[in-house]
Amino acid sequence: MDFDTALIFLEQGVASGIVTGSVYALLAISIVAIFRTTAVANFAVGEIFMAGAYCALYLLVFVKVSPWIAIPATVVVVFGGSALFQAGVLRAVRRSGGPINLVIATLGLSYLLKGVVRQTGFGETPRSFPSLVPNHSLTIGSAFLTWLDLAILTAAMLIMVGFFLMFNYTRLGRAMRALGMNQRAAQLVGVDIGRMNTLIWGLSGALSAAAALLIAPKLLLTADMGTVGTMGFAAAIIGGFSSFPGAVIGGFVIGIAENLVGLFIAAHAIAVTPFVMIILVLVLRPQGIFGGAQEIKKV
Amino acid sequence: MSRTLIVWAALAALVVALLLMPVFFTGYVVYIANVTLVYIVLALGLHILTGEAGQFALSHAASYGIGIYTAAIVNKSALGIFPLPILAGGLVAGALGLFVGLVALRMRDIYLALATFAFGEAMQWVFLDWSSVTGGANGTQIAPTAIFRYQILNDKQAYPVVLALTAILIVATLALSRSRTGSALRAVRESEVAAMAVGVNVRRIKLTAFVLSGVYAGLAGGIFTLFSTYIGPESLGFQTTIFVLTMIVVGGLGSVLGAICGAVIMSLGSEMLRNALSYQEIIYGVLLMGFMMYASGGVIEPLRRVWRRTGETANV
Repeated sequence: MDFDTALIFLEQGVASGIVTGSVYALLAISIVAIFRTTAVANFAVGEIFMAGAYCALYLLVFVKVSPWIAIPATVVVVFGGSALFQAGVLRAVRRSGGPINLVIATLGLSYLLKGVVRQTGFGETPRSFPSLVPNHSLTIGSAFLTWLDLAILTAAMLIMVGFFLMFNYTRLGRAMRALGMNQRAAQLVGVDIGRMNTLIWGLSGALSAAAALLIAPKLLLTADMGTVGTMGFAAAIIGGFSSFPGAVIGGFVIGIAENLVGLFIAAHAIAVTPFVMIILVLVLRPQGIFGGAQEIKKV
Repeated sequence: MSRTLIVWAALAALVVALLLMPVFFTGYVVYIANVTLVYIVLALGLHILTGEAGQFALSHAASYGIGIYTAAIVNKSALGIFPLPILAGGLVAGALGLFVGLVALRMRDIYLALATFAFGEAMQWVFLDWSSVTGGANGTQIAPTAIFRYQILNDKQAYPVVLALTAILIVATLALSRSRTGSALRAVRESEVAAMAVGVNVRRIKLTAFVLSGVYAGLAGGIFTLFSTYIGPESLGFQTTIFVLTMIVVGGLGSVLGAICGAVIMSLGSEMLRNALSYQEIIYGVLLMGFMMYASGGVIEPLRRVWRRTGETANV
C-alpha cells in the first residue's frame, strides 16, 4: 500500500469510525449514567439496545405505523421497560446484595431479553430495518459517507448535548449528580432515591433505544446483536467510566480504531479490538484516560 | 439415629448408586453424567474464586478451553499417558490464572469483571483464530486417552475415571474451605482492609484463588477430553462462563455443596432444554434475577436451615 492509498484509507476509516463511534458513545453514556448515579454496571445495555431495535422493527414493519409514531413509541416502551427493571428487580436485589449481585441481575435481564426476542420468532432470521433517510452517498475530502451517516451523527450529537445539558444544568440533573456523590446526603436534602433511580434507568434505556433506532438501518437485526454493548463498555472504560465527555471521546476512539484495524491490519482482527482496548486501558490506567485520580474509600 | 450417621449412610448410598449407574443406563445417560461431573469441577473452580474469595471474574470458560486444548495436544504427543494430559491442562490453566491474578490485583468489583470478560472474549478469539494449534472454527479432534495399555474409547469406560477425579476434587475443595487458607479467602471477600489488619497477606491469597480457580477449570478441561472426541471454540465463550456462574448462584454463593447442587441442577436442566435455546435463555435470565431478588443464599439455604434446626434438637 503506497502512501496516497493509505491516506485515503485513513480518511475513510476516520469518517466511518466517527459515525459508528457516535452510536457507541450513546451506549457508553447510557452505561455511565447508571454507573455514575447508582453504581450499577449494566451488562444488559446491549440487549436493551437489541430489544429497542426489534420493538421499532415490529411497529414499522408488522404493525405498519408511521415512523412519527413508531420512533417515540419505541423510546417510551424501552424507557418504561428499563424503569420497570430498576423498580421491580434491582430494588429487591439491592436490599440484600452488593455490587456483584446487581451485576448478576443485569446479566439475567440480558439473557431474558435475548430469549424473549428469539422466542417471538422475529430473531430467527436476520432482518433488515427500513431506512428513513435517503441512502445517497456524498464525498467529504476523499471519504464516502451517506446522508444516513450524516443523519446518524447529527442526531446522536444532538441527543448527547441534550443529555449533557440536562445532567449539568437542570434541577433534575443536579439531583442525579447528588445521588452519585452521596446517596444518604442526597436523601437528606430531599431527593427521592427510589424515584430518581427509576428515572435514571428509564433515561438510560431511552438512550440505548435511540442508539438502536439510529444504527438499525445499517445493521442486520439478530437476537445476538446485543454484543454491540461491548463497544459501549469499551468506550465507557476509555473515558474513565464516570465522565460523559470521556465516554463520548471513548466512543469515537473505539469507532475509529475498529475501522482502522479493519482497513490496515485484518478484517478478522476487528472482533478482538474492543477487548484488547478494554484490557490495555484497565491494566495501564484503571481509572481510564479521562478519569481523575482513583478514589479510596474509608472503611 | 444421630444425624451424622444419617448423612454418612446417605452419602454411602449415593456413592454406590453412582458407581453402579453405568450398569443400568445407556451410553447417552452416562455421557450426561460425565458432562455433569465436568460442570461440577468447573463450578468448584469458580466457587473458590467468586464464592470464597469474592473476586468477580468472568474468564472461567477461557481457562476451561486452555485446559481442553492443552490436554488434547499432550494427548497426541509421546506424553499422552493418563494422567499427564489432564495435569498439563491444569498446570497451563493455573499459569494463566496466575497471570490474570497478577493483573487483577490492581482491580476490583466491576473493573475486574470487565477486564476478565474482555480477556475471556479475547481468548475465545485466539481459539478461533490460531488454527494451526486449535483447528480454528472447525475445532480439533481429541484422541482417546490411554491408561497404561488400555484405551478409553467410550463414555462408560471414561465414567469411573471421571467420577474418581471429580470426587478427589470435591474432597480437596472441602478441605481447602475448612483450612486456614479457606478462612483467609473468606476474610478477603468480606473486607480486604480488615483481612489485612488481622495479618492476612491479601495479595498472596488473591493470587492463590486465581491460580486454584484456573487449575480447577484446566483440570475440568482435561477431564472433558477423557470422554469427548471433539472441541470447538463456539462452546468456550462468555455463554459458558455465565452458565457456570448461574450454577454457583443457583446453588448458593460461597457454599461447596451449593456449587455442586447448582452444577447438577443446571446441567441436567440445560440437557432437557437442549433444543430450545430461547427457553434456555429465558430460564437462565429468570433464575439469575429471581435468585438475586428473593434467594441470594441459593437452593442450599433452606437445607442449611434444616441442618441447624436438627442440630439444636439433637443437642437437647
